[in-house]
Amino acid sequence: MSLDEQLAKARAGDLAAFGDLVRAHKRSVYSLALRMLGRRDLAEDMAQEVFMQLHGKLQSIESSAHLAFWLRKVTAHRAIDQLRRRPPVEMTSLNDEAQLVSTVDGSDPLLQRQLRQLVLNLSPPARAVVMLRYQEDLDPLEIAKTLDMPVNTVKSHLKRSLETMRQEILGQVETRREGHST
Amino acid sequence: MIRRFMPVIVCVLLAPSLTFAAPNPRLLLPEFGALADKASESVTITLDPSMLAMAGRFLDSNDPQDAATQEVIKGLQGIYVRSYTFDQDYFYKQSDIDAVRKQLSAPGWNRLMETRSRKTHANVEIYIMTEGNKAIGLALIASEPREFTIVNIIGSIDLQKLHKLEGQFGVPKLDLDATKAPALNKQK
Amino acid sequence: MKDDLETELRQALRPVAPSEGFEERLLARVTAERSSPPKPSRLKWRRSPATRWLSAGLAASILAAVGIQHHLHAQREREIGLEARRQVIEALRVTEEKLELAYRVVKDQSSSVSDEKPGV
Repeated sequence: MSLDEQLAKARAGDLAAFGDLVRAHKRSVYSLALRMLGRRDLAEDMAQEVFMQLHGKLQSIESSAHLAFWLRKVTAHRAIDQLRRRPPVEMTSLNDEAQLVSTVDGSDPLLQRQLRQLVLNLSPPARAVVMLRYQEDLDPLEIAKTLDMPVNTVKSHLKRSLETMRQEILGQVETRREGHST
Repeated sequence: MIRRFMPVIVCVLLAPSLTFAAPNPRLLLPEFGALADKASESVTITLDPSMLAMAGRFLDSNDPQDAATQEVIKGLQGIYVRSYTFDQDYFYKQSDIDAVRKQLSAPGWNRLMETRSRKTHANVEIYIMTEGNKAIGLALIASEPREFTIVNIIGSIDLQKLHKLEGQFGVPKLDLDATKAPALNKQK
Repeated sequence: MKDDLETELRQALRPVAPSEGFEERLLARVTAERSSPPKPSRLKWRRSPATRWLSAGLAASILAAVGIQHHLHAQREREIGLEARRQVIEALRVTEEKLELAYRVVKDQSSSVSDEKPGV
């Protein structure tokens, strides 16, 4: 069954079809919330709220593409709003990190952990832009529509965020080299 | 008799021109239509008082970024931006910008700073127009090999409030005390 | 370096699953919400059905004439206002970017001057 068919059935009240939609999108929604908020418990709560909200708004969702757009938009905006109301994000504990470590062969888990932490250090709007670009693979125009942000602001966030992260990583590499050479 | 009243007569005759000589912070910005067509990216913004008021109504005071933006635009009567990015170096001519620069040599404008980088060939000039102790206009001209930008802000600009917006738009925080102007580059 | 960083970022930010039971908890909430009784409407129709329909029809016509116009006007105003807001944010972003450029140039110059000083 295609996502559009599942959507049609969910709109008609089929709970199992709604469950299928949740299964198809839960990783994306949860991960977006997790990398925005930095904590699993908060991310799960937010993901649950987003899907509950979706359940109430199913009639206004026109297609599977619209559904994906709606989920990203709501998750990103909710996360940004929450970050603006709450104190700064805590670092994820090493136990939490165990779930976040990539299992792709050849990847550097330490570098990837650093990158995830650097993303958490970005301002909420910049963080959302980076997440939508590198997790969701959206282009700047799609990101602009999702976040209701001018496209040049999106590009500026991307450029500056990458520069900041690159400088941080290079700085840490230099520090490590100096530490090894002494 | 006429000679005695000559100074008064001169003042009365000059009064209209004196009145109308008040400095105007609004620059005449070209539309750069032909350049815009060739630019890979362009930003053309014209916000007069009514549009600024409209924007103010749709800025959310509960959102820190919007609230800070509201503070900045409170005393403003206009914001005008022309910014163009090209795929090749110096696709634009200096004469395109000189027409604007010429207006900044008019009375009332003071150059706050000018910086030039030999390394990146970036050049930034910032001008302020003041009335008493208050800034009533700001003009910024930035040129790089593949980009030039002109910004003209009309109204009561509070550099402190503008400074508070740093980090909000994807631009990292400056390490600069907004109450002091950066050191002038005396290369010119 | 940019491509490497972007590749690493994509890998670092690969989606991960929520905890076990996420879906079950969610569907349980949805089921509970569906089975809770609907809130009673506060409106009470005291009139006869015929009068009710006439009133409703009349009200609908008036609303159609006035409401749609108002709605369209409000919608248009909202579009303009949001666009103005976007432009203000963009204008201030550009201004900040160029102020930062000026700062970087000054900073580069002062660090290259200190490099040229002997003994530094």
